[in-house]
Amino acid sequence: MAVTLDVEQGEGAEPGRPAGVSSGLPVNPIATAVHLRPRRIEGAAEHFAATDPHLDVTARFPRLARLAKHRRFQFMLILPNQLIFWIVIFVGIMGATNPGRNFATAITWYIWFCLVFVLMVAVGRGWCAMCPFGGFGEWIQRRTFWRRTTKRLGLGWKLPESWAGHGLLISLGVFVGLTWIEEFFNIAGPGTPAATSIMVIGIVASALLVFMLFERRTFCRYICPLSSLIGTVGAMGSVAGFRTRDRQQCLSCPTKDCMRGGEEGYGCPWYTWPGSADSNLLCGICSECYKACPYDNVGLFVQKPLTSVVAPVRRRYDVAIAVLVLWGLVIFQQVNALNWYASLDGWLNRATGMAYPNPIDYIGIIALVAAATAGVVALIRVIGGGARRSTAPDAAGGSTVASKGGLRAWLMPVSYGLIPVVGADYLARQLPKFFKHAPRVVSAVAGPFGFHPGLYNTRLAGNGAIVAVQVGVMALGTVVALWTMWKTVGRDVLAGGLGTRPAVVRIAATGLVLACGIAAAVLYVAMHAAS
Amino acid sequence: MTVMERETTGLMERPHVEVIQERCAGCEECVVRCPAEALAIDPSNWVALADDSLCVGCRQCVRTCPFSAITVEGPVLVDPPLPHGHYRPTAVLGDTSETRLGFTSWDAAVAEAERCLSCPDPTCVRGCPAHNDIPAFVAAVARRDLASAHDIIRRTSVLPDICSRVCDQRVQCEGACTWSLAGGAPVAIGALERFICDNAEIPGVEPKGSAGEGLDVCVIGAGPAGMAAAWELMAAGAKVTLFDKDEEPLGVLRWGIPSYTLPDAVAWRPWHALEAAGAVLNAGSPVDPAQVDGLLERHDAVVLATGAPEPLVLRVPGAELDGVEDATSFLTRAKSALGAGESLDDVGPSSTVLVLGAGNTAMDVARSVLRLGGQAICIDWMNERFALVRPDELAEAREEGVEARFNRSLLEIKGEAGQVKEAVLVDPEQPEPGVQPRVLSSQTERIAVDRVVMAMGYRPDASLLAAELGGSLATRRFDLARVPDRSWLASGIMAAPSIGGRAGVGQLALGREQAYMASAWSPRARLWAVGDALCGPSTVVEAMAQGRRAAQAVIAAQPKRPGHRSGGMAGYRRVLVAYDSRGGNTRKAAETVAQRLGHRGPAVDVLPITSVGPDELASADLLVLGTWTDGMIVGGMAPAPSTVKWMTDLPRLAGKDVAVFCTYAVNAGRAPARLAAAMGSTGANVVADGSVSRWSVEQQAARFAGEVIDAVEKAGSPMAGYPASGSVGVAKAPSAAGAS
Repeated sequence: MAVTLDVEQGEGAEPGRPAGVSSGLPVNPIATAVHLRPRRIEGAAEHFAATDPHLDVTARFPRLARLAKHRRFQFMLILPNQLIFWIVIFVGIMGATNPGRNFATAITWYIWFCLVFVLMVAVGRGWCAMCPFGGFGEWIQRRTFWRRTTKRLGLGWKLPESWAGHGLLISLGVFVGLTWIEEFFNIAGPGTPAATSIMVIGIVASALLVFMLFERRTFCRYICPLSSLIGTVGAMGSVAGFRTRDRQQCLSCPTKDCMRGGEEGYGCPWYTWPGSADSNLLCGICSECYKACPYDNVGLFVQKPLTSVVAPVRRRYDVAIAVLVLWGLVIFQQVNALNWYASLDGWLNRATGMAYPNPIDYIGIIALVAAATAGVVALIRVIGGGARRSTAPDAAGGSTVASKGGLRAWLMPVSYGLIPVVGADYLARQLPKFFKHAPRVVSAVAGPFGFHPGLYNTRLAGNGAIVAVQVGVMALGTVVALWTMWKTVGRDVLAGGLGTRPAVVRIAATGLVLACGIAAAVLYVAMHAAS
Repeated sequence: MTVMERETTGLMERPHVEVIQERCAGCEECVVRCPAEALAIDPSNWVALADDSLCVGCRQCVRTCPFSAITVEGPVLVDPPLPHGHYRPTAVLGDTSETRLGFTSWDAAVAEAERCLSCPDPTCVRGCPAHNDIPAFVAAVARRDLASAHDIIRRTSVLPDICSRVCDQRVQCEGACTWSLAGGAPVAIGALERFICDNAEIPGVEPKGSAGEGLDVCVIGAGPAGMAAAWELMAAGAKVTLFDKDEEPLGVLRWGIPSYTLPDAVAWRPWHALEAAGAVLNAGSPVDPAQVDGLLERHDAVVLATGAPEPLVLRVPGAELDGVEDATSFLTRAKSALGAGESLDDVGPSSTVLVLGAGNTAMDVARSVLRLGGQAICIDWMNERFALVRPDELAEAREEGVEARFNRSLLEIKGEAGQVKEAVLVDPEQPEPGVQPRVLSSQTERIAVDRVVMAMGYRPDASLLAAELGGSLATRRFDLARVPDRSWLASGIMAAPSIGGRAGVGQLALGREQAYMASAWSPRARLWAVGDALCGPSTVVEAMAQGRRAAQAVIAAQPKRPGHRSGGMAGYRRVLVAYDSRGGNTRKAAETVAQRLGHRGPAVDVLPITSVGPDELASADLLVLGTWTDGMIVGGMAPAPSTVKWMTDLPRLAGKDVAVFCTYAVNAGRAPARLAAAMGSTGANVVADGSVSRWSVEQQAARFAGEVIDAVEKAGSPMAGYPASGSVGVAKAPSAAGAS
């Protein structure tokens, strides 16, 4: 008797056939001629140990596993949002001109934008899994709603390496630009509903264009205005994304169907390999790798909150820059509600013949805040004894992502440590609109049908309560950031041997967190729930 | 100046490798395949790092990176190829000397062999239809080990001396050479193979074990595919009887390839070896469809290797005139005349022969015409850029004096007194490859010709294929994308650029692989088809590889003609238990069934259906298929959709014994019967269908295995005694209450 079961795929196995199984025919002559160089497997376990999540929800909950295996999984996530998105476009142009009574404005700015921030803080890239912009482009690109086909529409170019090397920075630039446009045209504040529609049309058209030009989800990973924000703030989230169950098997996998595409799933649209993912930064939770893996070696994992902030060994400089710029941007959005900013902006506009927000103060304040924060990091480096010791060459060539010499070695862990403060600030910034105007969604939906439930002027909270919640959110974010800063600086700066004065470094770095948190909280008090 | 000399003098510009760290996932696909060891993993960041000083610019990393995270700029650091011999006759009249020659010295061969990078994942091996271990034999040449080099080639080829002469390496091994894929000059693999075969002692049919002893196999057709099958079978100890419609064996090797490309002495070598080993040839014995059943009764297996003997003809006015003939007829006459040092009465110094087609066959005809003293004009309606002819063949033909015109088509043949006198030509246009040329102009050209030879290619014997195979492979093709060997995608060969605007070398190779894999499959019980009979006109090396593979499949399957096989389970050598499991119950049931069946003797493989490919199916005497049950009781129960989808892509399972079961939670309903019916519709003999409750998997799976064994034992001889289709249900789904 000889019974052979399908066992783990080994490097020496005949390609396409699990080790230990023979068809009875002579050994595949191709397999005989293939002598791949040995893979580096040693060190992998240690490298990823801190970031490997342990709770595989697809293993724990078979129903969820079945759902995620289904090809319609992501389609069903996208479909409701896709419907709302088309309604927004239609109603924004054709519906009521009063933004408070128009579904487009109400759902987009009073509900959706707040929910996106809640989602990113809790889940990470949960929104990306259901995003109608990327979903629409992907449907067109794949020429199918959910099926696995090999047909493709579009040119399928690869993003040039000179662009790809900058990682999230293109997305960051688009976000900063789009925010300026949104402020300039007063799209969300509340502006006109048609402006919201036009903005949505603009985003979907841009997304579609990029999907037609480039392969996979190049738009989502590199260009989408929300990608840098969700990528950085989403690091706080508890969903680790789809990860390997057994890294050893992933490393020795001969086909890498999760990357190239398999029978049941496409290759990862986000250019992420479950075998080496060390954070939720670039997992779009689309489940393609889960479907594609022929060895059932991928699962959807959850992790402790903040794991993707503190644990990754490979810190990215583009993320560090994104954190600083996003911090500058959210501070701008707080400052612009204050009287002295209105005076400054008015003066600049008169001098330059422009309108709110004047690009000089817009970029200036963002740059000033980001540079000031970076300056504080430089100061911490000096007083922490790091300036003399920092001789590590920048080995990353032109890549923004991996640069790590000099000050950058300090900026990365400190910026990562600040993520909870930045995330809390963005969340707090959305709260006034939610508390003041969320009930208007009911009015906006009911109005066209002749119902007027009288909720138009209903608020979920008064100004005082809103400020209290905002300060509370900042306090929570600051406390959390104190812990993350302690961990990131402790591991990357101090244990990494970059600073010689541990106490000074820790006190200064956590002091930076406190300063940031307090500054944002004070600004919220001064804004008095302005939206 | 060689690369080494340029390196020493410091004149060499080196390639530069850029790893986009932002996108590099550290998967090591480039690291394990880099021939120059220029890539490694940086353990601190777990991304690839490149060392420019080691890079040779082959760009294998670029082709294999799943995320396009590597770019290479700069030169391909490969030495120019060494010229190998070429004989250019000053006067071609009557000259049958071989024109393409190999390396004439060890030094030249070694220098060429040293150009090989010995790639860890050699794309040339995938490009070779026989999958010769090219890096290994090239390395043996480099160390001047002729015996090893020859042994290595002989592991996968029985006609290397012939293939090295007639293969179009440009679209096979050399086209897939890493250097070639990078835009450089490939290693002269064909010339090296030929050098080995020209210098090594050519062996006879050497015994390779006794796995085929006791088998009596009939091979119909004694061309390359038939000879390769016979060789492999006889080497394993099988008794082989060959049939050929011609009075002599060799098929296309004898009549279709001129001596200046394939000398007779080389072409006849394999047949002489087979003859010496005891092969029996029934020459001049064409086999018609009605005789196949009789052959299957007298032999354990039949291998259909009838080739593509029917020439394609163009039906134009005047095609019936004297002086119009097909390529088969002309080449046979020309080869015979030239071999005897004679000439043909109808092709003399003043004759102009119009050859229809400008492919390789047409070039053979035209060059033979020149050797007989005539003038040859080849016309082809395709654009020259997309032409199928070997570029070197076309160049040689033109050099010898053949006039090859593309974008020309024959409109009419005009005659006088029943004899060809004139050809009327038109100019079609073909803007893109794969598009049928169209005649847009009414302008015609008239040329005086004495003979017209139709040399557009050949086709298989349609009547035999229709009767035995239900058509050629093209009409029976099952989607290999469903059961693929996905390592092809990882190797980088699929990133090869297109050739002449058509498919790339990777796509060509994967298409050949499809036919290669199908050759192990028996479309009818105990009958295998190979070569042109299986997949339409192809090449000598493909036919040879398929012949070997079919023979190996015959040996693995150990078919026995009626009355010569053990009955019951003892008759099975190999059982495949394939399952589609969602929550693990079906897998557990499959393993239990496998354990029980394994106790009765046969080797048992247990695989998920996603891992079941043609090889696994082909070599299994009994297929047990298990799946889960889908649907709600009120709406009816059915096998899992994924299993149904998998079954739709299956080839015909003619004669294959199959048992099916479904696992269920409450009630399997008609799911097992539906599964059985679906399998039956593929032509399989369904010996049992049953169901297994998820609440007592092991117990019920063991019961089902027992029912399978009982059914097989009761029927007596495996693969006989069951209906040709439909199901024989021996295990009924228990009621929900009973099962729970």
